[in-house]
Amino acid sequence: MELRERTLPDGVAVVAPVGRLTMVGAPDLRGKLAELVADGHTRIVVDLSEVVFLDSSGLGALVAGLKSARQAGGDLRIASATEQVLLVLKLTSLDRVLEPHATAESAFAELRPRDRGGR
Amino acid sequence: MADMVARTLRITAPPDDVDSVHQALESVWAVVPDLEPRDRMSIETAVIELTANVIQYANRGRAVSFALTIVVYDDRVEATLSDSGEVDDVGLHSRGMPDAMAESGRGIPMIQALVDSVEHRRVEGFNHWTLVRAREAARDSVTPARGMPSVSISGVIDEMSRQRALEELGILDTPPEERFDRVTRLATQLFGVSGSAINLIDRDRQWSKSMVGSFPSEVPRSQSACAITIETDQTLIVPDLSQWEGHEHIGIPGEFEFYAGHPLYAPGGERIGSFCVFDASPRHFSEREVAMLRDLASWVQQELSVSQELSRAAEVQQGLLPQQLLSMPGWDIAGMCLPARAVGGDFYDWYPVGEGAAFTLADTMGKGIGSAIIAATVRAVLRSAARFGDVTGAVDAAAAALTGDLDSTGVFVTLFHARLDMDTGEVTYVDAGHGLTFIAKQSGEVRRLRSTAPPLGIDIETEWVAQTESLEAGDALVSVSDGVLDLYAGVEEALESVTSIVMLAESAEEIVDAMRARARGVAPDDVTVLVVRRDAA
Repeated sequence: MELRERTLPDGVAVVAPVGRLTMVGAPDLRGKLAELVADGHTRIVVDLSEVVFLDSSGLGALVAGLKSARQAGGDLRIASATEQVLLVLKLTSLDRVLEPHATAESAFAELRPRDRGGR
Repeated sequence: MADMVARTLRITAPPDDVDSVHQALESVWAVVPDLEPRDRMSIETAVIELTANVIQYANRGRAVSFALTIVVYDDRVEATLSDSGEVDDVGLHSRGMPDAMAESGRGIPMIQALVDSVEHRRVEGFNHWTLVRAREAARDSVTPARGMPSVSISGVIDEMSRQRALEELGILDTPPEERFDRVTRLATQLFGVSGSAINLIDRDRQWSKSMVGSFPSEVPRSQSACAITIETDQTLIVPDLSQWEGHEHIGIPGEFEFYAGHPLYAPGGERIGSFCVFDASPRHFSEREVAMLRDLASWVQQELSVSQELSRAAEVQQGLLPQQLLSMPGWDIAGMCLPARAVGGDFYDWYPVGEGAAFTLADTMGKGIGSAIIAATVRAVLRSAARFGDVTGAVDAAAAALTGDLDSTGVFVTLFHARLDMDTGEVTYVDAGHGLTFIAKQSGEVRRLRSTAPPLGIDIETEWVAQTESLEAGDALVSVSDGVLDLYAGVEEALESVTSIVMLAESAEEIVDAMRARARGVAPDDVTVLVVRRDAA
């Protein structure tokens, strides 16, 4: 699937998948995240603004990326989740380990995202 | 259900994948603009999880085909997926979400969380999944919709598998049989009631396999008490039909006022009918009587299973007949085998050999299963023997191989075995005690081929001698089993009739069809016909 990449001024790597994150595209994202961590990017944001649909394979790719980023001493955060993505995150309680942030720029800036008022 | 929108999609993955499902779903959503986004997202997510699961696991990673039907009702959305996967152990049993750091295992718990009911059944080698979600607008705050039964699609699947199981039994519209009639007779005597029946529920009618009492053997399903019985596994007892709430129209005053029935099952467990007793006036039915009724029902049940096993055996035996036409330009070949019972001791066979083909028609002494087992053995032995040598060699090898078997079972087999050279029309054959093969010349002359040897299984030293005949353009060779003779007053009349059939028919198939029409339903013995016809010049 199409994966748009950029780097924020503070060095955070941003990956923005475009389309549906299902068994079709999830392996691409999983590979890209592994590659970023291997290249030394340990702070990663997955920008979900262009993801119209996410299923359990997509979740698997995010969790795999989260684990490797944390093992490398960094973190993986998600931003700009759409309605269906939020539904799935909530349903699986993954919103507790992958808290949705408003934007990619704010993902690592917000120290305590829970204070935003949402969960 | 005032309005509903239904869409069905067929998928084969690969090349299709979950994207194909997304596209199909979008076309459904487009025509139901009033569907809440929450409902749409939930059912779509559940369907995609299910689809992904089926694609990945249902056929152990191999290609899998499935049909997906989405039905949007006023109050709920149903998705039914039927896949051809081999795997039936789907692990639907409730398990929670996996650990947060797990990379997989969320699919099934997600489906369960997204919809109100998930059903899986395996019917006829297909997995049928039904997901139902009550629409937000229809959710009642007092009674939660969780676990709501799917009333439509799974009901249809139930009825389909029920109907299929009933048809597979091959019992519908068959003549009365003593093995069933004795049970209904006994029941009327035991219970002292006016009637008893074995009723099968076939689409929109009730058909009685056995009936004591003055009712027609066929009534509309809507008038049938047994159609109500098959809705559950319980014995249904209605002491007074006039007081039967919701079904007052079923009773007939003075004729049908008491009913007790117990469901009958197909081998796969589908409720296909009911064994019942009834009376002209209301009646009490004691616990002891209920137990007796169940015992009699299980007796009927056993008889039904025997039917099923026999019809399976019949299928297998029909499968042993040649399924493919021989490709022989200038020749026309057809055959049929109509056993008097479910299975029989006759068979015919053909297969290509060299520049032509080998043909066999054999008749094992007796009828029924024992003969069928021997017939299958003879067929197999002869087929393998035919790979070596000529006609006599094949019959000789087969006879030698079968001697022991035929001797120990005390059975003999008559056999016509021939080889045809398709270019010259020369037929070389051995007739072992059969003597029912004719050559009908185009001129109208008919000649019976003489049997030159005793049947297989007769314990004498035999030297098999091949005879030779020649088929000219327009000639036909017709070999029949002795069951055909039973259809006529004698050999002469049979010969005459067969001759006129051959003369009038345009093809080998027509000859066979005419014989089949003549034999159907009246033949006391197995009837088998083999026709080898050379095209007219």
